[in-house]
Amino acid sequence: MAGLSPSERRLQKELMSLMKEPPPGVEVDFDLAEQNLLHWIINMEGAAGTLYEGERFQLQFKFSNKYPFDSPEVTFVGNNIPVHPHIYSNGHICLSILTDDWSPALSVQSVCLSIVSMLSSCKEKQRPPDNAFYVKTCNKNPKKTKWWYHDDSV
Amino acid sequence: MKLTIKNWTGVATWRWVANDDNCGICRMPFDGCCPDCKLPGDDCPLVWGQCSHCFHMHCIVKWLQSQPVNQQCPMCRQPWKFNNK
Repeated sequence: MAGLSPSERRLQKELMSLMKEPPPGVEVDFDLAEQNLLHWIINMEGAAGTLYEGERFQLQFKFSNKYPFDSPEVTFVGNNIPVHPHIYSNGHICLSILTDDWSPALSVQSVCLSIVSMLSSCKEKQRPPDNAFYVKTCNKNPKKTKWWYHDDSV
Repeated sequence: MKLTIKNWTGVATWRWVANDDNCGICRMPFDGCCPDCKLPGDDCPLVWGQCSHCFHMHCIVKWLQSQPVNQQCPMCRQPWKFNNK
């Protein structure tokens, strides 16, 4: 692990443990992450028995060299963005642990689990009510958005 | 039989006594050091919070410095207070 920055050393460990024991329905693109530890793509499957069963999604993680003190930038990418009250059609996710409630004890794995569980508890597939306005006016980086976290039910 | 010891060499091992194997912030073993240090030991000590969670001192200080308000334990989110006992 010589030559790696502190952020990369931690990400290298996370990558190995995610390869060894991936949470159900979660698979990391290992080769891509190996090439650049600061940019990961995760393939995610909608859990059985939920509204997203049978669907496949792609999550992008971007890390700064301040990780894990700084939260990763996490967005859905690709041609299937989950239709969910907290997920905008441009892939931005309204989830407090990605900004205000981030902790350096969290990890790629725990973020993936939170997102799987957020999808799984969804009762009705719909976009956030302000979707059209948000996607027109937001910054490309969801961390620049001042999120209001008001709904813990989904 | 009588023995005379002419010289001897003492060897000791040490380890931190913590309630976990790895630092929850950098994920390095407590018996190693944080990613910014080269040698484990007194130069890269462990510290405990009053909530009983333990980290490399350098790791928790970096986290607290990045949080101007609401300094919380990364593990349990209770307000962070060093345990000075």
